[in-house]
Amino acid sequence: MLYKRAIPLIIVFVMGLLAFVHEFVPHPLSAAFREEMTTWFRIIGGFGMFIGLYSLLHMHATRIRRKQLGWGYSLFVFLGALGMIVLGLVNEPHGPLGSAPEDGTVFDWFYMNVQVPCGATIFSLLAFFMASAAFRTFRARNLDAALLLGAAVIVMFGRIPLSAMISDVFPQAADVLLEYPNLAAKRGILLGISLGAISQSLRILFGIERSYLGGGSE
Amino acid sequence: MSTPEADLRRAAIARRVVYLLLAVAIVATTLVPTEMKVVPSPLSRKVYDRLEAMPAGSPILFSFDYDPSSKEELYPMSLALLRHAFRRGLRPIVMTHWLNGVGLCKELVERTAKEAGKESGQDFVFLAYKPGGSNLLLNMGESLKGAFDKDFYGKPTEGMPALKGVGSLRDIPVVVGIAAGGTTEMLIAYGRDRFGFDLGAGCTAVIAPDLYPFLQSDQLFGLLGGLRGAADYETLIGRPDTGVKGMPAQSVAHILIIALVAGANVYVFLIRRPRRKEA
Repeated sequence: MLYKRAIPLIIVFVMGLLAFVHEFVPHPLSAAFREEMTTWFRIIGGFGMFIGLYSLLHMHATRIRRKQLGWGYSLFVFLGALGMIVLGLVNEPHGPLGSAPEDGTVFDWFYMNVQVPCGATIFSLLAFFMASAAFRTFRARNLDAALLLGAAVIVMFGRIPLSAMISDVFPQAADVLLEYPNLAAKRGILLGISLGAISQSLRILFGIERSYLGGGSE
Repeated sequence: MSTPEADLRRAAIARRVVYLLLAVAIVATTLVPTEMKVVPSPLSRKVYDRLEAMPAGSPILFSFDYDPSSKEELYPMSLALLRHAFRRGLRPIVMTHWLNGVGLCKELVERTAKEAGKESGQDFVFLAYKPGGSNLLLNMGESLKGAFDKDFYGKPTEGMPALKGVGSLRDIPVVVGIAAGGTTEMLIAYGRDRFGFDLGAGCTAVIAPDLYPFLQSDQLFGLLGGLRGAADYETLIGRPDTGVKGMPAQSVAHILIIALVAGANVYVFLIRRPRRKEA
């Protein structure tokens, strides 16, 4: 209990308090503390990438082992990840541990000619989903829905160059919608998120929220 | 007689028809060369004007925080920005917070530097990637050369001519963040508000509305939104490229979606009216 609960909670409280207090202490010691801590955070973040990679590969290994729906796609995750790791380590034609050259490597070739087009293709499918979603959901069923529909049409039309060629009114109307009603809504959401984040931080700092330790929040 | 099965079948057919129409419209407009006049938006012009106002030789930090999935939207504006910076004789310091974006950044920097005849380490520096996000920014605010002791090519940043007079983020007057995620907010909270530089932003079109509150509060001096933002900037620097070329296809796609939405609403209105009369 001491090692699993009390000590982690004390570390969180002390470090959280120090991170908060040093913002208001203009002393060289405080600045040195911040520099040291941020360096440590970055080192821990680097290890986090390994945990992420392990978690991803573990999840896909389980899918393959259990022959879950679509397990064949998980094979491609291994193929892609291991293939790129090997290419990166071999670093042809400059050899392992060679510095990054300006003229490129086999790894660079695969990145530019496989990963970049594949990534761009997947993202461009979003246009089709958005078109389909707009077609199905923008229905003027009531006043609220009609307002949303009207705003969407004005912004969609106002954001293309063709609208400015017809009249300046269209882009201006789109800008008004983005700068006033949109801004008001976004600011409200932003304030809500910020207050929620402060509240959650205080709960973690004072040990009320303990779910990050595992085993529930009791 | 409308049954749930029939409704589902109709919806599936409608979805496929929408996909097909959109694909045909985009492919046809892309294949047929069409010129479209682009009038830059005031927000794009503000980014251009801020870079124009910088004295030659000033350092400027570009944070290209995206990966291949957002390349089609964000690469064109990054290209235009770097071309402008090199043309103005500024000293670009280029980095990314996205590991998967390093290859794109490298290609971008080397391409624009070659075009402008600039030399790495002398006229610009490519710092590439380090993990840490907000903590990396805080480190850079204390000591940029401490956070990045070497550039991408392994050259020590200490004593590098391109970083002359740049000790930390406080010595960089302007930062431009091009983001596919939440790094613009991070640059505001952990960079601009602490170290006092002017921040401009570029982002995918879906993120742009989220950044309007920061424009009103002057935490951002300008914004390039999506491919349209890239087209605006290419027009402003007088060098049309993929952004401007993509505008006819984007315009046709938007008009098609508006027409489909309007058509669907008219159809629903017409089939509902007789039912109401019957009732």
